[in-house]
Amino acid sequence: MERERAFTKEIASLDHVFNFLDEFFTLETIDKRDSLAIQLVVEELFTNLVKYNTTSTTPVVVGLEREGKIVNLELVDRDVDRFDPATLPEFDVDAPMTPRQQSGLGLHLVRAIVDKITFEYAERVMRIHVVKKLESNHA
Amino acid sequence: MLDISIGDDGNVRLRGRLDAVQAEKQAAAFDAFTGSTVLDCKELDYISSAGLGLLFGTHKRLSTQGGGLRLINLKPHIRELFAIAHFDSIFQID
Repeated sequence: MERERAFTKEIASLDHVFNFLDEFFTLETIDKRDSLAIQLVVEELFTNLVKYNTTSTTPVVVGLEREGKIVNLELVDRDVDRFDPATLPEFDVDAPMTPRQQSGLGLHLVRAIVDKITFEYAERVMRIHVVKKLESNHA
Repeated sequence: MLDISIGDDGNVRLRGRLDAVQAEKQAAAFDAFTGSTVLDCKELDYISSAGLGLLFGTHKRLSTQGGGLRLINLKPHIRELFAIAHFDSIFQID
């Protein structure tokens, strides 16, 4: 990825993650609507790694690059046990109002927003790769 | 950063971002809401699942007491998230 940065694996790192994203949005002149969507995707994936990949305190690397009207995004979490997002409970949009309804909401939002998402696990490294088409009329 | 204030009309005004960090920091403020509460989201720029969860939990608590949250002036991109989550069928949104 053209731009990468490592962040301490804790929720409090999100402010630093957002600052890193803002630098990318400015550099690539990505408008507010697209930037808010990318922020949401990164927040949800990062917080999932913090919550579910608890076996390692190794920093999470966030990488970004723009290819025309596409943004490629990658999160890399090293030295972790296998984490299969498919094992997370699916968010049930029609479930009654119970605490369980919140489970899986973040990933549900991400899947609705992005154009492609893949999860790879090999040699104790989790890589999440996302493709997001820019919706605004960027040059 | 998320600012919470009470407007002249008695509505609770949210200004800024309701992400996972702010949801954690502002949980106590939401716990203080009672009865039927109107949240004016005109200046709410961003919300994530953590923020949606905070609103959901607050609405659920208030609903058991005969109240609830009513959301007004949602920005289009935030309203879109409510629709994706089907939260637009849970909250009263005007």
